[in-house]
Amino acid sequence: MPDDLVFPMGKYEARIPADREYADNHHWLMRHGDGFRVGFTAYSVRLLQDVYFLSWSIDPDTPVKKKQEIGEIESSKAVSSLFAPASGRLLRFNEALLNDPSAINTDNYGAGWLYEFQTDEALLSPTRYVEHLAAGWERTQALIKGQMNE
Amino acid sequence: MPKKLTVVISQSQGRNPAKRNLEEEIAATLMLEGEVDVSLVPHLYDLHADHTGMLFLKSVPGDLVIASWLFPRAARWVLDRQGVKGLEGQSLLKAAGEEDESDADDSDDEDGNGHEPNPDAVGAWDVPKRKLYCLDLRAYSDAKTYLDEIRRLARENSVQTFDLMSFIQGQPKADQLARYLNPTKRVNGHGSSPGDDSAAAGSTPALPIMDEAEATRRRWYPVIDYSRCTNCMECIDFCLFGVYGVDGQERILVEQQDNCKKGCPACSRVCPANAIIFPEHKTPAIAGADTGTAAGLKVDLSKLFGAPSAIELAAMERDNELVKDGREAVGLTVGIPKRQADKAKSHDALDDLMDGLDQMDL
Repeated sequence: MPDDLVFPMGKYEARIPADREYADNHHWLMRHGDGFRVGFTAYSVRLLQDVYFLSWSIDPDTPVKKKQEIGEIESSKAVSSLFAPASGRLLRFNEALLNDPSAINTDNYGAGWLYEFQTDEALLSPTRYVEHLAAGWERTQALIKGQMNE
Repeated sequence: MPKKLTVVISQSQGRNPAKRNLEEEIAATLMLEGEVDVSLVPHLYDLHADHTGMLFLKSVPGDLVIASWLFPRAARWVLDRQGVKGLEGQSLLKAAGEEDESDADDSDDEDGNGHEPNPDAVGAWDVPKRKLYCLDLRAYSDAKTYLDEIRRLARENSVQTFDLMSFIQGQPKADQLARYLNPTKRVNGHGSSPGDDSAAAGSTPALPIMDEAEATRRRWYPVIDYSRCTNCMECIDFCLFGVYGVDGQERILVEQQDNCKKGCPACSRVCPANAIIFPEHKTPAIAGADTGTAAGLKVDLSKLFGAPSAIELAAMERDNELVKDGREAVGLTVGIPKRQADKAKSHDALDDLMDGLDQMDL
């Protein structure tokens, strides 16, 4: 198995496991059953910090389009709407997170998975995702900074 | 000459009884105490320039407390646009959505939530030397918090004791005011007139409140925060509905408020300085929340997780309104800010900020 990759966020190092694929909205996708399991990358979790609340605005087993809004999340540092990582079908949600989303923080690449998802779209390799992170880092910083109004 | 502090309560839109009760409890208590002049006006944002409520606000010469269902920043700049100006008074109360400090009365926030003024900003002009305190009625559900703060401000602003002359000085002069202060409708339906002694004798006092005939309609328009605005003119380039204009000094201003398209906040999204407020928008950063404080509103990571960009969103919103008007959608071809190019901001400051996340109290 290839080594995990690392993306430096300031002093923090976001680990990008090599055993799965990625979407450009900072989710990982890993083959599971009849589709993929999807979760937040370490990059996402780093920006969110402690997750307090997760809710989904669509029902399981629903077709979705890329960038369609599907839910929202609130953490100690951020609130955000959540969007489909690709066009496809959202099969089922990780029910365990709805009462206690802390697994997103403690095990984002494992028990903290968000939902299962089917898609035929091309996904990013770990290397491509790290390149995507590097390319977007400036803008991510501007985003955070802009909202904090310095 | 010492003047009484004037307190104006800007009422909520709609008839939410909890909101009405809060407004009335604050107003009634202050009237009974008699330490401040208190009035009720309709929702500040909805007032046209010639509404008696706005004329009243313009006529208040001294320090003014305005309690409204708006972010203080939004209220302040709505008033500024109407010519009701003053130095920004610092209240100890927080705005809606701001995190509770360990103690709500904590007063270590004297410098305005730590928001650094933008050195390139236009700034407010023709500001008289009086204070304008904007309180956010959405922040607390109990009247006592507001009453305590208003009493504190009244004490702070009247070091001198009241004399009989202050009563005379406090009398309104304009005809509109006479009409304003002699309303036909009373909050609690009591039949007494404003001068009736029975009002002060323990029953709920008569409150100055607007005539029904002066009912306001809901409005929707941008409000410019000149402490942030750099006069870059991106908004006037972007808006295709003729809302913006410039004054004699070439300063950007919201000229035709009611040309604005209800619900459309597109220009605020393209403003590089986050200076455009839509007080009724559901997103706090657009509605005038002071996002300058790290302890305040949270960062919205929606863009990171796949939301359309602010520019894409703004163009979509504008296209929707153009199409509704029977005009052609223009997408990203007209008036799109040039600012993308100079987006590469100082790297170091943000590295600090990211690392600083670790040091924040969670």
